[in-house]
Amino acid sequence: MPYRRVILLCCLLGLSQGEVAGQFNTFGYFQTSFQHRTSFPDEPAQNFFSLQQLNLFFQTNISRRWGAFVNFEVLNNFSSSRRWGSFNLEEAWLRYRHDARFNLKAGLQIPVFNHLNEIKNRSPLLPYIVRPLVYETSFNEFIAVEAFTPTQAFLQAYGFLSVGETKLDYAAYLGNSPNIRSQFDNLRDGGDGQTGVDTTKTLLVGGRLGLRQGNAKAGASATYDVTNAFQGAEALFGGPATRFEGVPRIRVGGDFSVHVGRFSFEGELILVSHDEDEPELNVDNEFFYGTLGAQANERLFVYASYWNTVQREVAFDIRTSDGIIPVFPIIVDIESIQVGVAFSPNERITLKAQGGPVEVVQRATVIPFGDITSRQWDFSIYGVAASVLF
Amino acid sequence: MLALAAGATTASAQVAVIAHKGVPVDSLSKTELLDFYTGDAQSWRGEMAVVVFDLKSRGPVRDAFYEYLGKTSSRMRSIWLKRKLSGEGDPPESFETEVEVLQRVASTPGALGFVQQATVSGDDVKILVVIEIDEG
Repeated sequence: MPYRRVILLCCLLGLSQGEVAGQFNTFGYFQTSFQHRTSFPDEPAQNFFSLQQLNLFFQTNISRRWGAFVNFEVLNNFSSSRRWGSFNLEEAWLRYRHDARFNLKAGLQIPVFNHLNEIKNRSPLLPYIVRPLVYETSFNEFIAVEAFTPTQAFLQAYGFLSVGETKLDYAAYLGNSPNIRSQFDNLRDGGDGQTGVDTTKTLLVGGRLGLRQGNAKAGASATYDVTNAFQGAEALFGGPATRFEGVPRIRVGGDFSVHVGRFSFEGELILVSHDEDEPELNVDNEFFYGTLGAQANERLFVYASYWNTVQREVAFDIRTSDGIIPVFPIIVDIESIQVGVAFSPNERITLKAQGGPVEVVQRATVIPFGDITSRQWDFSIYGVAASVLF
Repeated sequence: MLALAAGATTASAQVAVIAHKGVPVDSLSKTELLDFYTGDAQSWRGEMAVVVFDLKSRGPVRDAFYEYLGKTSSRMRSIWLKRKLSGEGDPPESFETEVEVLQRVASTPGALGFVQQATVSGDDVKILVVIEIDEG
């Protein structure tokens, strides 16, 4: 029947505009970039294009109080056949909104932690090409971004209370501890455990308290969970095989941002401490960033940003001439000043340029013998990018 | 509270914050207005959903409105974009002309918008706030 074709056509047109019956929305964005890294000892300069990130959202308002949201994220020129990058389900949650004072989200979600965690992968919102390092998810193959910030929660209550012109924000959440089983674990152990889930009885607990007034806001965040990442350290420090199981980990964060006229400042501090009950072993992490920006006009934003990251890792398979297999802390201190501009010719496109020097200092220590290597790399990175909303 | 012009100003130099006649309030504080326009508040005293409208293009009326709220257009865009990309809500629907805003506010229960006061005639909408346009 001809009218059925018309109805079908109308449905297809509706879908192509990303909306069905005004209730179901599909939208997203991508960021594509060209970057140049200068050379440093042992490493030649590098030029590369990258589709850094693509996010695809599905959102629906089921009713006035209920809503749902799904976020797929694709990183680093993803290709499954070539084994490039990654494709991830980042969020899939159901929200109940009672009022501004109380909202509840259930399902996979990015928890509130400091200012940037929740929006770290919303590239159209950010002026950066390379984000402050612990938020740069496209670097997660070589920076332990998940050690610094909680990346997943499954149940979160949040909202704010108004006291005059001041708002008291809160968020409290539960999630998995980081001891998640993977296919790699199954292959290694010959097991067949359920992947993607916490293998221990412990949970991630966290939250943020904040104040907002006018164009300023500040907050304090914290999380608690336990990690098995240091299992094996008993080979050096002695004790039973279970000694370094379930090491408590506490992340503490502080954030502050203010807009004054055309100028803005935002900054964050993150301290990650582990209660590993071994004074010789320090595997704590630290991160700070501060960005000073100016909105030159409605479309042009310029900024300078300082980043400092101290990341301590542990390797277990370093064999010395004595034949022992010691715990091997590697301390990586990364410092950078980045300057950049973000220009939005219209509501959907943001063009970005960014660059600056990076200093990386790595120290590796075998605990009984002190520092055995200390290396430093100085280089610069420059990039241009386009972030596009669709 | 109302930002009524203290001095001698003409009606055309004022912005009227207008709402559908059925909303359960007769005035708004600046904080309440800001909460509606940033998405922090989404209902009229918990009774009725608020539907916020905006003007598409920059001009003295839109600039005066956001200046009154203490936000630049780019800051407001950032706030709305964050809400949208976080799945928390959509930006206000925006219109090219003040007449369109007036008509949509008059015909949409719970609606809130702003136009030049001279645009408002009759009693199709409630005027909740009057903002003076700084012509200096």
